[in-house]
Amino acid sequence: MSELLETGMAPAGDFAPARSLWRRIEPAVLGAGSIVVLLLLWELLPQLVTLQAGTKMLFTTPSKIAVTLWNMIVTGKLWAPLSVSGTGFVVGLLLSVLVGLPLGVVLGRSRTLNAMFDPFVTAFNATPRLVFLPLLMLWFGLGVTAKVVIVFIGALFPILINTYEGVRNADRGLINVVRSFGGSEWDVARLVVVPNALPYIVAGLRLAIGRAILGVVVAEFFGAEDGLGVIMVQAASRYQVDVVFAGLIVFAVLSLIMTGLVKLLENRLGGWRPQRTGGE
Amino acid sequence: MQPYIQGRNVNLTFRPPNRGPVRALQNFDIDVNEGEFLSIVGPSGCGKSTFLNVILGLIRPDSGDIRLRGSPISGPSTDRAMVFQDFGLLPWRTVQANVELGLELKGMAADARRKVSQPLIEMIGLAGFEGHFPHELSGGMKQRVGLARALATDPSVLLMDEPFAALDAQTRDLMQVELLRVWQQDKKTVLFVTHQIEEAIYLSDRVMVMTKRPGRAKKIFPIDLPRPRDYEMRVTPEFNELKLQIWNELKDEITV
Repeated sequence: MSELLETGMAPAGDFAPARSLWRRIEPAVLGAGSIVVLLLLWELLPQLVTLQAGTKMLFTTPSKIAVTLWNMIVTGKLWAPLSVSGTGFVVGLLLSVLVGLPLGVVLGRSRTLNAMFDPFVTAFNATPRLVFLPLLMLWFGLGVTAKVVIVFIGALFPILINTYEGVRNADRGLINVVRSFGGSEWDVARLVVVPNALPYIVAGLRLAIGRAILGVVVAEFFGAEDGLGVIMVQAASRYQVDVVFAGLIVFAVLSLIMTGLVKLLENRLGGWRPQRTGGE
Repeated sequence: MQPYIQGRNVNLTFRPPNRGPVRALQNFDIDVNEGEFLSIVGPSGCGKSTFLNVILGLIRPDSGDIRLRGSPISGPSTDRAMVFQDFGLLPWRTVQANVELGLELKGMAADARRKVSQPLIEMIGLAGFEGHFPHELSGGMKQRVGLARALATDPSVLLMDEPFAALDAQTRDLMQVELLRVWQQDKKTVLFVTHQIEEAIYLSDRVMVMTKRPGRAKKIFPIDLPRPRDYEMRVTPEFNELKLQIWNELKDEITV
């Protein structure tokens, strides 16, 4: 049983050379610092150079954007459009996962179905989703339904295609292990194929989130009666640059939050994987 | 008396896409007695592993008759279990969940599974490692888990497909001792495929030499060495005599 002793694994950190405090916080400080400097430059720009009257109309400063955003939050003006946009995003994305994941698994496992569906997947995926917009507006109107559909078809393909790739990549040996214990095709999918495909699926989800947010923005810029994008377009037409920027910030923050959630999901699901040495 | 496992005239040809057919087994006959430890040695690609997969029920032969306790084998069942060469552990499952895989697929409840897996994990010397993932284990530990998983469903036949081939020489020797200790406890019928003649002799009641592809049984050597066997047995004249005989039978089949 000598091998048991050898595996008394010490955490990798024990062997890493001790780092000074500065070495550890350096990237964070430099990153935050460059943002602060940029914001300061932006804020001070009107004082440093004289802007022409025409340019002034198109210009705003970080402090004005912050005040505008704060006012939108406290007066509640932000929440109604945000909830409309959010609904389109969440429902569309959920639908794309609910459809894309099982479909990817089935297509990855069945050669017949794959041969039947592949032309559609390839053709749809090669077509820019935007070209469907006029048709979708015609069919579903300017309400939330059209938004859900455009988000759905944008987010579906990254999830579908990544799931398919991950499923195709499943270890035949492990599939045979499950079969050898009398496992059914459902057991094979549940115990081997899907866990194996999870990194691919999560990567697909990350892409899908980007596409979904893009879908919301595009739908609201070009044909919706309500939503954060609509507010931005209206503000732009009234030269309320700070409101446009406020909307932009909200979209950016939402994207960041979603990316963070996916990362969290990734870490939760990937607990069995070997730790990469060297840390994040 | 009817043999426990009986194969008659088993023929199997693989037809891989874009390539010519490969005859894996031709007129393959085999008799295995209950509780027997039978090793199969043969050149690479002679169909040894294929045959284990036929017994396991994962591959159906083209023709021939293969029976377990008199009834034809028609598919996988929990009365047969395989220990795989590359361990075949699910990397996203802990040691315990891997050991319980077969029980779970049988539909056993979690606490009943634990009652079975816990003593097995202790028996293979991995108590305290229940929550570890495969990548945290050494090769020898992984194959202990593979063995415990195969034993968990309490199969009557244990199929071992070069189970120690991926281990270093010392670990391999230890695992052989371990396997004999486990086998001694309830004498399951074992079919053990290996490339190593010494391993085959040390473990087995009989050693079958197979021909090169398409594989047939060439000769069977009874190993009448007393049990329990110890490591010193490997240097006795009887052991070396058997090794030489088996090698002489095998070497004509090997093409480099």
